[in-house]
Amino acid sequence: MKRDATVEESLQRPIARLLLCGTWLASAVTAAGLLLGIYRERQGLAWTEAGIALFIILPVARVGLMAVIFLRQRDYLYASIATLVMAIVAAGFLTGMGALAPMQ
Amino acid sequence: MFIASFVASALGGVLGMASGIFVVPILVIAFGLDIREAIAASLVSVIACSCGSAAPFLKERLTHVRLAIVLETATTLGALTGVFFIGRIPTAYLYGLFALILALSARQMLVRRVVVVAATDAQGWADRLRLHSSFPDRATRQDVPYQVGRVPLGLVVMYGAGLMSALLGIGSGVLKIPAMDMALGLPIKVSSATSNFMIGVTAAASAGAYFARGDINIRIAAPVALGSVVGALAGTRVLFNVPADKLRVLFVVVLSLLAIQMLVSSCGISWLAGAR
Repeated sequence: MKRDATVEESLQRPIARLLLCGTWLASAVTAAGLLLGIYRERQGLAWTEAGIALFIILPVARVGLMAVIFLRQRDYLYASIATLVMAIVAAGFLTGMGALAPMQ
Repeated sequence: MFIASFVASALGGVLGMASGIFVVPILVIAFGLDIREAIAASLVSVIACSCGSAAPFLKERLTHVRLAIVLETATTLGALTGVFFIGRIPTAYLYGLFALILALSARQMLVRRVVVVAATDAQGWADRLRLHSSFPDRATRQDVPYQVGRVPLGLVVMYGAGLMSALLGIGSGVLKIPAMDMALGLPIKVSSATSNFMIGVTAAASAGAYFARGDINIRIAAPVALGSVVGALAGTRVLFNVPADKLRVLFVVVLSLLAIQMLVSSCGISWLAGAR
């Protein structure tokens, strides 16, 4: 039990840092895009899109970070669970790119 | 639109709920957006809210990170199912479903959360996954240990929550939190923190697919997401300065109104938004 408690702690800090920094970065890029869009529409839209993409990638990066931490602790069970979650998200992205038609 | 989502997220933040449940109806009712467009935009703001507010919970060691990743396998699968079906479900049903979830949320606001200690008989899964844990109690300054029960049931409910999240553009905290309270028998603070933590990945699974399809309208999603981050931050601050009971009543009223409007919309009539 004690070992698992310290494992939790080793996860919680780096994840908190990643999510906090990531949210600021994504917000900053999105905001920059919106402001830029007032003067140069195309460029602004590209930045805004990048910001949105960052928002979407952030939780996936969090799962990736978890997988790395688990691997480093030789916790292969949890490392594979984290990888599975990433694979599911990736599968969604790929099917979105390919086979399925748009919603409308 | 920035201001509207700011208000929506502040509301959500105050409640400890994701913003989607307010963002989608506001976009549909006040801005006259297509419900599917509103859903896609809302998902981005749901991610932003979850990620932006996760850090304090993690630092206080309330989030059960390993339980979250186990349950995320089910929520992301549910989300993918939702992505697959959303184009095939008539809009009227989406409105109806949303009204149902709004009504559920209102009811959940009214009834105080009661901890039903789960019958912890079949603990095979939780033992094998080493899920039993503890959280620090501020009052006594001691670590309170807790057991996790009925993981398979939890997984099934989480699949449903992920499905709803992708179909309606919400975080599904409404479904996740009671599931964790009742099925898994978690302490209230832990289930709130862990639910909020999982929402990000769940929404990313569906938002990623919608993004790849080109279904996310950047011009709408961007201001909504920004408003949500600011609103979520502001909301958690306000949370400590406002009498909880008054808030609760206000929310029940707002949620019920939105539920009625969405239900009416599902029947093809709209009387609140005459300007549509």
